[in-house]
Amino acid sequence: MATASRLGARANLKEASMSLLNRKGLQFLAVAFACQVASFGLCSLASAQEQITLHFANTGLAEETTREGIQKVVADFEAANPGIKIQMEAISFSDIGRQMVLRVRSGNPPDIAELDGNDTIMVALTGGLAPLDNLIPPDLMKNIKPGDFAGLRIDGKFIAIPWNTATAGLWYNKKILAAAGLDPNKPPRTIQDLMVALKAVKDTQPDVIPLGIDTTNRPFSLTSNWPWMKTFGAIPFGENATGANSPEMKAYLSWMRELAEKHYIDPGRKIGEFRPPAAQGKVAFMWDPVLLQGVIQSVNGMTNQQFYDTWGVVPMPVGPSGKSYSYESGQQLAIFAVSKHKDAAMKFVDYLISSPTVIGDYTIKLLSSMPTLKETGDPKLDAELDTPIFNAFAHDISPTLTPQPYGPKFAGAATAIMAGVQQAVTGDEPIDEIAASIQEQLNRL
Amino acid sequence: VKLGGAVGIGDPSPFGNAALASANPRQVPWIHWMIVPTVLVLLLVVGYPIAQTFILSTQDYNLADVTPPRYVGLKNYGDLFSDRVFWQSLKNTLIYSFGSVAIAAALGLIVALLTENTWGSRALGTLLVLPWAVPGVVVGFLFRYMYLANGGIVNAVVLSLGIISEPVPWLNSSSISLAAVMVCCIWALTPFFYLLLSAALSGIPNEVIESARVDRTGTAAMIYHIKLPYLRNHLLIGSLLMVIGCFNDFGPIWAMTQGGPGYATSTLVVYVYRLAFEQFNFGYASATGVVWLVLLLGFTIAYMPILRKE
Repeated sequence: MATASRLGARANLKEASMSLLNRKGLQFLAVAFACQVASFGLCSLASAQEQITLHFANTGLAEETTREGIQKVVADFEAANPGIKIQMEAISFSDIGRQMVLRVRSGNPPDIAELDGNDTIMVALTGGLAPLDNLIPPDLMKNIKPGDFAGLRIDGKFIAIPWNTATAGLWYNKKILAAAGLDPNKPPRTIQDLMVALKAVKDTQPDVIPLGIDTTNRPFSLTSNWPWMKTFGAIPFGENATGANSPEMKAYLSWMRELAEKHYIDPGRKIGEFRPPAAQGKVAFMWDPVLLQGVIQSVNGMTNQQFYDTWGVVPMPVGPSGKSYSYESGQQLAIFAVSKHKDAAMKFVDYLISSPTVIGDYTIKLLSSMPTLKETGDPKLDAELDTPIFNAFAHDISPTLTPQPYGPKFAGAATAIMAGVQQAVTGDEPIDEIAASIQEQLNRL
Repeated sequence: VKLGGAVGIGDPSPFGNAALASANPRQVPWIHWMIVPTVLVLLLVVGYPIAQTFILSTQDYNLADVTPPRYVGLKNYGDLFSDRVFWQSLKNTLIYSFGSVAIAAALGLIVALLTENTWGSRALGTLLVLPWAVPGVVVGFLFRYMYLANGGIVNAVVLSLGIISEPVPWLNSSSISLAAVMVCCIWALTPFFYLLLSAALSGIPNEVIESARVDRTGTAAMIYHIKLPYLRNHLLIGSLLMVIGCFNDFGPIWAMTQGGPGYATSTLVVYVYRLAFEQFNFGYASATGVVWLVLLLGFTIAYMPILRKE
């Protein structure tokens, strides 16, 4: 009994001490938790004060070939700038302009967007872009090639800053030309030369597409075809327009019809859809920007030397106007007017444009485009840019760039004009009627 | 209100309206008030956008322009009448919608009749329904690549069979592109009609079929005089739904041709998209949308008496 009572007392004591321990433990836990919560709150507060999040809408994240590259660019920037976090938004090339206009109008644009061509102007016309004149660092401003800012001013203010340049040239496959009995070192210089070469290719290699040219109906297609129209002397609308119902435009449309009738072109394909067959050696000529080299090499694994042995690039063959023209499809960076962190945004933009790592690993390697800087300040990068292709673009093709009539009516004009081009290349309606129909639609804009 | 008791199988509502009315007619209206929340939600999610579209259609409103919208009355509607592209798109829409549905319904009916009571018809049904389950945009891209003049499987097959001597630009010829786009739509719609009509065929009373057989009715007469009358309402309802669906078909057409070449495959929905989201001309796009809505409403209203007819 006594033993039982002792055991009971010991058990009570143990219970009491456990209870005390539990209580103390709980108290300790409660204090620790409170400290944790407090410190977390303070840290969050501090972090909220220091951390800036920038939203960056771009197409790089939407493309498989550039996704990892742009992620690395952002990671490197964040590591070097711990106070700035970049939240990327992936939007496809075809959609980004439209989405930015809609987002500006609905009041939720990002801080920064990558834009190009008419999209930049359309977004700027909504009043949603911040003027960059006072934001661009003077050193950066001085180092950007003056021509690259062309068309990026509205009411005297810079609306965007060029990130890279991607001018279009006439690419030719030397091996296909040689197989057609042509001199691979003498690419066509005039439209007549081009027609001779296309015929030779078609006659000798029926499975090869002689000329890769975009004939879809979208604003980019008008951008791409504008230089061809101009070399025929046609300016269907905009400043100094000859109109669509002009002899020059009819000459251009007749030429396009001839290309289609002789099966020198494959109508309806986007230019991007010619690139895989080009990489397989199935396209003789391509009307494409500088980035074609990167695409071909990423598809078929060619080395640089193999590429230079196979492909060359020259300015557009000269048409009846006696002049050669080109278009620019490089990307620009814009900062939105409602952004609360414009200085931080410009810091990121400056990094994208002038960081040697970004230029080397992203702009040149992945985008296969050229930087907009006069001087990279890095001999290694200068060596990478000293190639037959980049040199041809820098010295021969870039000077042929022609301005485009970008603005609020460009998209509507593109629909009308490219629909007419499609009618010319796919139907048998008289060219005069097609030209008149285009003009009638342009008059309605 | 007497609930739970006098509800018969034949009563039109679970409450048994007849019983309710006779028990206490004064209290019936409160049940009608119960639909008010639904009506309010419908007014908000359907009525408001429609009303807003009407308002926009009377304005000169470009989203890419900082100037505020300007009231222009019926000008946008007036412009539509002289808009060649609008008329071409309307014509294409009618051909595309009615043509595709008519052919798909006929094919669905034939397949349903052929596979009726055959061995493996269930497995075949599962297989046949797959095209209907594939998203429209995916179908559009599939057909786009199948139709390619260089490298497309359609040309490869037809060329190897010796039917054509050189590749046909199916989607890039003004004269055949609409038909080529319709083939894609028909391919996707036929399984729907097959499913609908198979189910309807299995619902025909056996006694009717047996009686016809006893009377030595031939196959053609059996189909024409016995089965088709039973399928009539199913065909009508299915066709109505599918015509409305085709009127609004955007994904496959955009994926295949974007309305081209020229305007050969441009339908109203493609035209409205171009006006609204490429040119940001919301006023004119809204006027086009209103005409499109009125056309669909008119078609549906005209269709209803046919459906009610015994």
